[in-house]
Amino acid sequence: MTKEDVKGAAEEEQAQSKKALKKQQKEAEKQAKKAEKQAKMATEQQATDEDDFAKDRYGVSAMVQSQERLGRTLIRVQDLTPEKANQLVWVRARMHTIRAKGKQCFLVLRQQQFNVQALVAVGDRASKQMVKFAANITKESIVDVEAVVQTVEQKIETCTQHDVELHVERIFVISQADARLPLQLEDAVRPDVGVEEEGRATVNQDTRLDNRVIDLRTTTSQAIFRLQSGVCQLFRDTLLQKGFVEIQTPKIISAASEGGANVFTVSYFKTSAYLAQSPQLYKQMCICADFDKVFCIGPGKGRHPLQHHAPPTCGFWELSHFAGRHLLGRLPSCTIRELCIAQVTVHRSSWPDSLESVQEDGGLERPSAVFRAEDSNTHRHLTEFVGLDIEMAFNYHYHEVLDSITDTMVEIFKGLMDRFQTEIQTVCKQYHSEPFKFLEPTLRLEYQEGVAMLRAAGVEMGDEEDLSTPNEKLLGRLVKEKYDTDFYVLDKYPLEVRPFYTMPDPHNPKYSNSYDMFMRGEEILSGAQRVHDAQLLTERASHHGIDLEKIKAYIDSFRYGAPPHAGGGIGLERVTMLYLGLHNIRQTSMFPRDPKRLTP
Amino acid sequence: RLRLYCVPVSAKMALKELSSLEKCLGLKKPNKYSTQGEKKVPVLQNNQGSALVGLVTIASHLVCEAQRTELLGDSAEQRAVVQQWLEYRVTRLDGCSKDEVKVILKELNQYLEDKVYMAGNCFTLADALMYYGIHHIIMELAVEEKERYLNVTRWFDHIQHYPGVRHHLPPVVVLRNRVYPSSQH
Repeated sequence: MTKEDVKGAAEEEQAQSKKALKKQQKEAEKQAKKAEKQAKMATEQQATDEDDFAKDRYGVSAMVQSQERLGRTLIRVQDLTPEKANQLVWVRARMHTIRAKGKQCFLVLRQQQFNVQALVAVGDRASKQMVKFAANITKESIVDVEAVVQTVEQKIETCTQHDVELHVERIFVISQADARLPLQLEDAVRPDVGVEEEGRATVNQDTRLDNRVIDLRTTTSQAIFRLQSGVCQLFRDTLLQKGFVEIQTPKIISAASEGGANVFTVSYFKTSAYLAQSPQLYKQMCICADFDKVFCIGPGKGRHPLQHHAPPTCGFWELSHFAGRHLLGRLPSCTIRELCIAQVTVHRSSWPDSLESVQEDGGLERPSAVFRAEDSNTHRHLTEFVGLDIEMAFNYHYHEVLDSITDTMVEIFKGLMDRFQTEIQTVCKQYHSEPFKFLEPTLRLEYQEGVAMLRAAGVEMGDEEDLSTPNEKLLGRLVKEKYDTDFYVLDKYPLEVRPFYTMPDPHNPKYSNSYDMFMRGEEILSGAQRVHDAQLLTERASHHGIDLEKIKAYIDSFRYGAPPHAGGGIGLERVTMLYLGLHNIRQTSMFPRDPKRLTP
Repeated sequence: RLRLYCVPVSAKMALKELSSLEKCLGLKKPNKYSTQGEKKVPVLQNNQGSALVGLVTIASHLVCEAQRTELLGDSAEQRAVVQQWLEYRVTRLDGCSKDEVKVILKELNQYLEDKVYMAGNCFTLADALMYYGIHHIIMELAVEEKERYLNVTRWFDHIQHYPGVRHHLPPVVVLRNRVYPSSQH
C-alpha cells in the first residue's frame, strides 16, 4: 500500500467511525424517545385506569360455557315500546351500526327483524373509557346491554322501534365478530331501486349466497323465512283439520317416477338407486292402502342432463352430480337445527357421521327437500326444493279434490295475510310488490279458454300445445287484467303433455282431467285425477314408452281395488317467492342448490 | 319462434307493397314493376323509355297519377315533413339491424306522443309507407313491448284500420287494455 493509500484508508476509517458514531447517537436518541413515550403512556394509562369509575360496567365477557345459570330476564327488542319507559332492562342483540361523536356513542342494536337505537354517553353511569370501548366493538358482535328505556320526542325513522331509545348503563360483549365482514348488512338490506343515484352499494346474489349465514341475518331474510315457515304450518294445519293424514315416503327408489332418464343416481350397496323426484307413486299407493286423504312434506332431487358412470362401491352414500363427484352429507336433524340457530357455515361435502335421515325439527319448520335436476339454471328452479304434496280419494268427480286443494291454498293466503303482516311489510321495504290478490271461490278457467285468451292477444298456438313459460306469464297478465286475481286454476289440459298416469277426459280423448295452478302468472302446482285402473295404466305407460318391468310394483297396487283419486304438489320456495312478489327462487331457499351451487 | 327484425329485402315484398299502394290510391290499372340491384330497388319503366327508380320516387309518382296530391302534404311545412318520413323509411327503417330497431321504436314513440298522423293532421303517404315498412317489426313484438312503445302501437293500430290501407299485410292484434302496469317500465 502507498502512503496515499494508507492515508486514504485511515481517512476512510475515520469517516466510518464518524458515521458509526452518528448512527449510534441517533439510535440512542430514538431509544430515549421511545422510553420517554412509553413512560408517558404508562403514567397516562395509570391515570385513566384510576379515573375509570365505570370499569366493571363494560368489557368482554368470558366465553359462555354455562358457568352459572343467571335468572336474568332478557327483553326482546320487539317488546321495547313506550310502555316500558323508565324501566331498566337487559337486552341481548347484535351490534348493527355504531356512530361515535365525542362524548357520545350511538348504537343500533338488532335482533332478527327488529332494531333499536341505544346511546352510551359520558355521565354518572358511563366513563370516557366505556364510551370508547362501545365505539370500538366490532359490527355483528353479540352484546348484552343493561339500559333504561327512554321515550323520544322525534321518531327514529331508521329503527323499527322508532319511539324509544336505550340509555346504556352496562354493556358486555358475549361473542365478538371479526372486524372484517364479508358483506355489510346495511348494504344487504338496501333496495335496488335508485341505488345508482345515491352512489351506495347493494350486495349481489352470489356474495350473499356464498356468505349465507350473514345474509340470513338481514331483517328481510328473517321475514322471508318466517313467512315460509308459516306457509308450511298453514298447509299442515289446514289439511290436518280436513282429516288428512301426514305420511313420509321413501326418497331412495329403484325407478324414475316420471319415466325420464335424467335423474340423480346414488350408489346403493352393490347397485345403483335413484333419488325420488316426487313422492307421487307412494302417495297413490297410500290411497290404495285406504288412507283416503294424505299429504307429505318431502325432499326430492330432479333430473339432470348428464348421466354418470357407476361410482366406486363403498358403504357410504355418494351423489354423482354433474361433472364432479360430491359427497352428500346426510347430517342428523339436530345438527341442521343448530346450524340454523347458530348460523354456522358447514361445508356440505363432509363424510356423514351417520346415515340418519333428516327429520323435521321442532323450531323453524324444516321439512326435507324434493330433488329435481332440470337442466335449467333459472330464476325459478332449484335442484333441491321442498315439496308439499296432496293426494285424496274422491267419490264421483275429481273437482271434489280440486276444490279441496284450492280451499287449502286460500286458507294459506288468508293465514299469511292475517298473521304475517309484519313479515310481509318488512320484505316490502326492500323488495316492493303489490299485495297478493285472490278470489273466493278460486277462479277456474278451462285450458281452451286460456288458449282463446292468448289467441285474442295475438299469440299463435295449437289447441293441444303445452303453454310455454312466456305464454303462461302473458296469460297470467291477461287473467289479472280481466279478473283481478293473482291466483287461478287452469283445468282440462291436453292429454299428450301430461304424465302417463293422468286420467283422460271422458268426453274428449284429446284432453285430460288435469290442472295447473298459477300465482302471479307462474305455475305452482301440477295435478290431476290419476288412472286407478291397472289395465288403462298399463296402456298409458306403454303409449309413453315406459318399461313396464320398472313400474310393476306401482301398477300392481291398483289390482286389488283402488279408489278413484286425484292430487297435486306445490313447491314451498316457489309459493313463498310468488306470494311475496320476489323474483328469484334463491331468495326463498335457505341454502339453495342449483346446477352451479353446492355450498354452503 | 325466430324473431326477424331485419327482414332480408325481397323483390316480392317491395312489389307487393307497390301493388297495395295502387289499390290504396284507387288506381284501377296495375303497373308492371321490376327490380334492380342487390337491394331489389323497384323500377317502373314508363312508355317514354325512361325509368323511375326507387320506392319513394315511384310512390310519389303514383300519388300524382291518382290525382291525390294532398297525400304528399298540403302546406310547404307538411310537404317537408312527409318527405322527411319517406326518407326515414328507406334510409333508416329498411334493412335496419336488430340493435337499431330499439332505437327506432324509441324515437318514433317519442315523436308520436302528441300526434295522430306522421305529418300534419291527416293521413298522408308518410303514414302508408311507414306502416308498410314497420309492419314486420310490430308483428314480432311481445305484448309487453307493444305496451312499452305505446304511441307507436296506437298509431300503427289506427293506420292498419284506416280504410284502404292494409291489403297485403296481416292484421296485428293490439289489446285494448294495458296488461302491464306502467310502473314496470
